[in-house]
Amino acid sequence: MGAAMTEAGLFLLDLLLVLTLLCLAWWSLAATDLFKGIVLFIAFGLVLALAWVRLDAPDVALAEAAIGAGLTGALLLTTLSKLASSIDNPPAKRSSPVLLWVLLVMLAAVLGYAIMSLPQQAQGLADTVASQMGNSGVEHPVTAVLLNFRGYDTLLEMAVLLLALIAAWSLAPRAATSCEMDEALTVSPIVLALFRMLIPLMILVAAYLLWVGAHAPGGAFQAGSVLAAAGVLALLCGKRLEGRLAGWPLRLGLVLGTAMFVAVAAAVMVGGAHLLQYPLASAGKLILLIEAAATFSIGLTLAMLFSGQRPSRGPAS
Amino acid sequence: MIEASGTPLPWIVWVILLPLIGAMLCFLWPRQGKTLGLLTALATLLAVIALYFQLLDGGVIRYAVGGWGAPLGIALYADGLSMLMLLMSALVGVGVSLYALGYFKHSPDNPAGFWPLWLLMWTGLNGLFVAGDIFNLYVTLELLGLSAVALVALAASRDALGGAMRYLFVSLLGSLCYLIGVALLYHAYGTVDIALLGTLVERNPATHVALGLMVVAMLLKSALFPLHFWLPPAHASAPAPVSALLSALVVKASFYLLLRLWFDVFSTVSMDLGMVLGVLGAAAIVWGSVLALRQTRLKLLVAYSTVAQLGYLFLPFALLSPLAWQGGVYFVLSHALAKAAMFMAAGNILAFGGHDRIADLDRVAQRLPITMTAFCLAGVSLMGLPPSGGFIAKWLLLDAALSHDQWGWAVMMMIGGLLAAAYVFKVVGFAFTQADAPHDAQPVSPFMEWSALALAVCAILLGLNAHYPLELLAIGGPVTFVSPSP
Amino acid sequence: MSTPLLYALAGVGLCLLGLYGLIVYAHLLRKILALNIMGSGVFLILVALARRSGDSPDPVPHAMVITGIVVAVSATALALVLLVRFSAATGRNQLDDDEHSP
Repeated sequence: MGAAMTEAGLFLLDLLLVLTLLCLAWWSLAATDLFKGIVLFIAFGLVLALAWVRLDAPDVALAEAAIGAGLTGALLLTTLSKLASSIDNPPAKRSSPVLLWVLLVMLAAVLGYAIMSLPQQAQGLADTVASQMGNSGVEHPVTAVLLNFRGYDTLLEMAVLLLALIAAWSLAPRAATSCEMDEALTVSPIVLALFRMLIPLMILVAAYLLWVGAHAPGGAFQAGSVLAAAGVLALLCGKRLEGRLAGWPLRLGLVLGTAMFVAVAAAVMVGGAHLLQYPLASAGKLILLIEAAATFSIGLTLAMLFSGQRPSRGPAS
Repeated sequence: MIEASGTPLPWIVWVILLPLIGAMLCFLWPRQGKTLGLLTALATLLAVIALYFQLLDGGVIRYAVGGWGAPLGIALYADGLSMLMLLMSALVGVGVSLYALGYFKHSPDNPAGFWPLWLLMWTGLNGLFVAGDIFNLYVTLELLGLSAVALVALAASRDALGGAMRYLFVSLLGSLCYLIGVALLYHAYGTVDIALLGTLVERNPATHVALGLMVVAMLLKSALFPLHFWLPPAHASAPAPVSALLSALVVKASFYLLLRLWFDVFSTVSMDLGMVLGVLGAAAIVWGSVLALRQTRLKLLVAYSTVAQLGYLFLPFALLSPLAWQGGVYFVLSHALAKAAMFMAAGNILAFGGHDRIADLDRVAQRLPITMTAFCLAGVSLMGLPPSGGFIAKWLLLDAALSHDQWGWAVMMMIGGLLAAAYVFKVVGFAFTQADAPHDAQPVSPFMEWSALALAVCAILLGLNAHYPLELLAIGGPVTFVSPSP
Repeated sequence: MSTPLLYALAGVGLCLLGLYGLIVYAHLLRKILALNIMGSGVFLILVALARRSGDSPDPVPHAMVITGIVVAVSATALALVLLVRFSAATGRNQLDDDEHSP
């Protein structure tokens, strides 16, 4: 009886969560003020993180909250501030022809039908992953998949992140010199004091997330995004990279994650093993090494994407 | 089939890692970008050639990344078809790299990002051609699509930024449709390995919906009529070396992926859709050619010609014979070389006169003879005249159509050839006439002229050595690719 | 209805909402929001169906979605930089609707 009650209660909770998600998505798209739309999108991301928790995907929940909602939201807001106007009222729309509605309804029916026709129970690769966990060098299944079983995907994904940064830099106008920026910003001393307290804490959290990823939810992406959040805070408080660090030391920091991944992936081949085939004894350490470098680069890259400018290297650019 | 583990140098890995490493180096030392970029291009070419010999020796290559093997790990896979695509990309890639040396010296376009972005794009291309895993293919697709968009935007003109924006939306929409297909297949069969899926896939709703979504995604990315609207603005407004890469390679990558899915994953269910693709291909040939003929700007003409030529690639889906498939793949190769050469020649003309209005070409033929020769040779291949690669491709397709009495398709191909002749001669005609007002001219780097010519000559040579590519295609190709007696 | 199915169908809903927004709204920032919502829908389908495996969910789709989230933020960042440049160059926040009809 009690179990059934909980069951029903949880189902109601799920239903509520799902409806909230759909409403937030709709309001976010249709908001007259784009600022409001973005705030609603961030709220959508946070509710989605709850959905991931309900689906027993805590790693995804962390990544969603930090990257999906947090950093994407920050990127959207800073972009909005650079646009000529944030008002799009009423939202400029194409007239939606009947054909579009027919297409959407058909797609809904077809996709829904395909999903409902899947078997109610399916193991997927859960058992296969479980049986190989002992050979992966880590204890947390998601980390094992990300960094070992399907590490090659993750390597290419680091390349995608690097690509986004290179693209942003090749498109962005060069930054005004750093002193001009600082003059424009006046940050209250209280915020600065808070900032000084927060930064070490965030770095600590990032380090913890990185370390804990080996046996519990967490890992390089979640840690990297916390680091990025610290970077965003620093930028908001008017901190800028020193000129002498803004040249190749910065670029080295940005490629470090991808470079370390490639280096380790290729280095293990020396003994005749395959790409990314870590020797069992050192797998855990190698994964931690890759993740540490990746965390650093992810944090730096995301913060640089937020700043939206190539830091200038002083007078001689 | 060989396991590529024992060999000291698994080239299948290095064709992906080398351009990636090169991209990082170019990003670290932007001032050495040219040197590093060119060295990387040559190294990648050598790695591709080494892989080619490995394939000739041992046949199809399957490589388990991380040593796990499917379904847990990711497999790399190379057969004759992948090898042809890799060789094509390497050849065009080296040609375009040489071209870029000259191009960015005088162009107003932003050169800083070109080398790392182009090498990342090459990583995506090679990664896609040797991927044996549909989720890994999603990541390579994104690497490819995003780098292509960023490269278009290097031109920074109003048109280029708008074109890049639209291209980005189309590319991301296509990737997401593809990813829904991946999700359905994974949850239906518990694996994302192509070879395993091929043995597991059966007729059921999830399979059909996944097939539909993935096919639409690839049609969108390959710009098959009527989903071609994004291609001309993006391809025409990009810097010339980028236009060449996009038209020659990027649209072919999604076509290649479609072939892989069609034959290796969905072979039991895909055939129902073939006629639709064939008809759309025929429509693309006519519509694209007519619009190409109506353009007044050279680069837009060349871009619409791409829309038309892509139509031929989809005819084999309806013709359904080994000959037609050989013709289709041959078309991919010859169009890649010819179109790259043609866009490079158009870029030379644009750099030379400062404009690309076809009516004001003003005796370009006398003043840029090498470029105009390249343009004409590429045109010969596009029209399908002997002895070019385009001729062999059309010959195979025509033969396939006529041997099964499918006259309609043959007539479409003839019309397409005539229209291609019309738009090529339109340009050539104006290139010989004198404009009313004389124009100032800028010198054009010899790198730009000779690399265009080299690729155009390759497009012709492809027609004289047809048996090499066709023999390579037979290695491990799907059964339908191998005809009893070609 | 089972929990995985409910969330997977919600994922379908989000995909369609995103697709509708992408096609219908002209403001480029809204199109970018729409693509992100569509992406979230796809991720939801992937992860929800991984819950069908009984006690411990299948970790492979989780890893895929984390990869997907990073790819999505990269794509969004590129789109936003492009938008800022486009807006600065043209003074507009939307593509000319007649640009693509030949």
